[in-house]
Amino acid sequence: MNPASQNLACGSPAHAISRRQMLGTLGGLAGFGSLLHPAIAKQIRNQHKQVCLIWLDGGISQYESWHPLPDSKFAGPFRSINTSIPGISFSELMPQTAKIAHKISVIRTMATKDPNHSTGVPRIQRGDPLDRGVDYPYLGSAIARLLGPVNPELPPYIWIKPGNGGFIQRDAGFLGAQYGVLALGDGRPPIHIHRPEMISAEVDMARDVLRQKANERFTTYRNTSDVDAYETSYKMARQLMARKEIFDDNLLDPKDRTRYGSHPLGRHMLQARQLLEAGVRFVKVNSYHWDTHGDNFNMSQRLVPQIDQPFAALVNDLDDRGMLDDTLVIVMSEFGRTPIINSRMGRDHWPDCWSIALAGGGTRPGAIVGETTSDGAFVDSEGYDIGHLFHTIFTLLGINPQETHYHNKSQRLAIARDDCQPIREVML
Amino acid sequence: MQVIGKVLDFSTTRKRVCNAVLRSLLANVTGFTMGAVFTLRLFAAPVLHEQIDELVRAKAGDVPFAETADDASFLRRVTLDLTGNIPAPGKVNTFLEDPSSDKRTDRIDKLISSNDFAVHWADRLTVMLLERQDQGTVPNEQWRHFLESSLREKPLWDLMVRHMIEAKGHGPARPAMKFLGTANHHTMTENIARLFLGMDLTCARCHDHPSVEAWKQSDYWGLFAYLNQTRQATHKAENQVYLVEDLATTKVEFESVFNPGQKTTGPRLPHGKEVEIPAFEEGDQYEKPAEDGLPAVPRFHPRELLARDLTAADNSLFARNSVNRMWFLLMGQGLFHPLDEMHDHNPPSHPQLLNLLGHEFVAHAFDLKWLLREIMLSETYQRDSRLPEGISQVDHTRYQVSSPKNLTPEQLLRAVLRATGNTRYATALQAEHEANAEAKKFDRKGYFTGNNTDLPPSLDEIKSIFAMTFGQSPGEAEVDFTPGLNKALFLMNDRLIQHWLQPREGNLIDRLQKTAEAKEVARKLYLSVLSRLPEAEEQLAVADYLQQNESRQTDALGDLAWALLNSAEFRFNH
Repeated sequence: MNPASQNLACGSPAHAISRRQMLGTLGGLAGFGSLLHPAIAKQIRNQHKQVCLIWLDGGISQYESWHPLPDSKFAGPFRSINTSIPGISFSELMPQTAKIAHKISVIRTMATKDPNHSTGVPRIQRGDPLDRGVDYPYLGSAIARLLGPVNPELPPYIWIKPGNGGFIQRDAGFLGAQYGVLALGDGRPPIHIHRPEMISAEVDMARDVLRQKANERFTTYRNTSDVDAYETSYKMARQLMARKEIFDDNLLDPKDRTRYGSHPLGRHMLQARQLLEAGVRFVKVNSYHWDTHGDNFNMSQRLVPQIDQPFAALVNDLDDRGMLDDTLVIVMSEFGRTPIINSRMGRDHWPDCWSIALAGGGTRPGAIVGETTSDGAFVDSEGYDIGHLFHTIFTLLGINPQETHYHNKSQRLAIARDDCQPIREVML
Repeated sequence: MQVIGKVLDFSTTRKRVCNAVLRSLLANVTGFTMGAVFTLRLFAAPVLHEQIDELVRAKAGDVPFAETADDASFLRRVTLDLTGNIPAPGKVNTFLEDPSSDKRTDRIDKLISSNDFAVHWADRLTVMLLERQDQGTVPNEQWRHFLESSLREKPLWDLMVRHMIEAKGHGPARPAMKFLGTANHHTMTENIARLFLGMDLTCARCHDHPSVEAWKQSDYWGLFAYLNQTRQATHKAENQVYLVEDLATTKVEFESVFNPGQKTTGPRLPHGKEVEIPAFEEGDQYEKPAEDGLPAVPRFHPRELLARDLTAADNSLFARNSVNRMWFLLMGQGLFHPLDEMHDHNPPSHPQLLNLLGHEFVAHAFDLKWLLREIMLSETYQRDSRLPEGISQVDHTRYQVSSPKNLTPEQLLRAVLRATGNTRYATALQAEHEANAEAKKFDRKGYFTGNNTDLPPSLDEIKSIFAMTFGQSPGEAEVDFTPGLNKALFLMNDRLIQHWLQPREGNLIDRLQKTAEAKEVARKLYLSVLSRLPEAEEQLAVADYLQQNESRQTDALGDLAWALLNSAEFRFNH
């Protein structure tokens, strides 16, 4: 860190860059702007790493998925099954993933701090940063900021979710609105991506030519950067409109749809594959209602296959396409579920010892990491907090979390907790 | 002579001292009217707008300046800046044809005393102070009413801010308490520091600022100590929330996360003296007993002291922060920028100018209209946004050319409505909606997802849609706009825009389709949308396009208007 770049954090030069930059990554043109140290920006440029974060909101039960312990006192009614890794079993609710266990890795000793949904979800997705008086970006916005887009025609961060969509700024935190997320509500893009029916393609082209001519005239004798920013926003809008087939799930192969499953999570994960193939840097897929305080076993029986089937299909597809080495797939929640089964046959929130799965992107295939007590309730080796996971993710993406910082006005902010390290066991 | 003493503090050159002294004397002797200054100009000091230009010139050195903006650009700029709208096409014509030499000053004076000024500046101040958050219990309409009625008369900025911090809760200034929201102590501390002192003290809550030596943790907690007795309480009979204060008896304690050890402070402004918390005899602490839900009123009111001392004439932080924010609103950038980073590591581009503006603002009793008017009368403000011949790069902080400003969401909506001739239609829509008791709630999210294919039923709803699309998210300062993909997509494809480009009795497309000659079409189109006359080339282009689209004249007119609405020229206040 040279002194000049530290100075930059205090004031106007940094600001001058960001003001002229003016291009939202939402629009797909993430520059390496003032928030990053230039040398580091150089170091991480040209990476083609992509990320797919599958978020099972509410908390998948580790006992009914990645870490079945059928002989323990906390076991549920499900059996465990062998996986493609000798000696490793998953729950019988995960038959497809069991077949590709050698392609993925599982961390069975996540030990995090927050047992509440409302605070836990943002806390986990922000990497549980130390309180520096700012809202940290969610992982997707952080990556959009740190790596920019893969395909500059497409926004770097897209979120496929049930319910409403739109341009959502909240994920960006202090990075600013342009690092927010383009959310596809129920898998659909915002309405404004569609040309109104009454405007034909020819007319649309013709009127855009008129618009460009008007801008050309205005640009003459003017400082062009401000006008360029407008011009770019239109260019990107047109590019996105031209590529809107990547959002069209009617165009997906029916065979693929069967393989991924007809439920929303399956459809959305297939769409995620489509977006990754098109070159979106970070795709988040949300599934809700994993909060099984009551009737955990019937709910798990219904829900777990909904992640098992498309997760296996996605990993296989990325592998077949030669994309797996550069695409990190993460399956996680804000916490796991209690060993103790409550009086409503449910499991409650359990951040003390839970599991997540990773695949591709430089993770070690077949690594099943972490020892727990024999009943699975507590960590019996090293526990990994969310900060460790963020270090792992950043490192896998070629970003050095020790040396890379955000600069938010006068504040120099670590991109991941400096009291954590990468989880080397899951890395190649 | 007190005024002169202060002038001396602020001035650095001998000439300026003399000028300022003379000017103050004049102000005192003649009662300072523009006329008086004009007639006495030969031996009087230059008026403020001339001093602005002089200081900007001094900094620029050999750098060439752009010409003064032409009449059409000037009119569009002042109309947008003062009333948040583009000029009506008829007004453009009249102004261009007006031969009088003082028509610019006249126009500024007319606009600044109009009702539209009050409405637009209430928008701007609301966005600056509340950052698009609906906070506290005071309804938005009442807050706006407070601002608008202040702005309609002679708005004195110190008084307006005093009302916001005193938050007395009764009388016509009651709505001002909205600024303090729900009385969260940290939020109030941080907002007051940021918005009224130019200090983003957020990190000083936990420790001294790491790089700005002048910003201490004790500054944060000193401000905090004025506010930590404040809380909401409801008067039961009135069913009305007040911001009451409990009895302050001790200083606040704080500790740095880096250097252990408790410290304490009483109420203190940055650079100011700590206020002693008075000790009262038992039974003598209160001036008014508890009443129907409201607690007893202590005899010590730190918040009132804060309101008084923060806005006092000798608090140069307040004066400089205020003028910097007003300068930003008119010039597109602050003299120091970011606006909440007024410290040594972020020096102002024109330190003397900042001091002068601050001082003059104080000397003119914080008269907001006076300040805006002076800035707008300067050549610096009235400069063209086109580069001078032979120059391709400019340093915006030298004010070589006028910096284009992005239209705010509110300006953009008004401008689109006026440009397309739908202002009256939208106003009627609002009235109709208000008269309709059975109006359903509009599904705004669905409007963006396509689940709701209705058109918004009211102007208020349309305003919200524009604010959602073009504004910052709630809680974020609206300082730097980004063009953004979603904004382009909205202007390209939104139903409202299409709707407004359909002919309707009296709107732009209707008037254009009733116009026979292409040349005249171009003239009306450019006057209406871009507030200027078309150039010969542009007239030809309009004629060409209409000819190429002979079978679809009405739609072709819509295309032409759409292209101009989507042009950078329209979306900038240049």
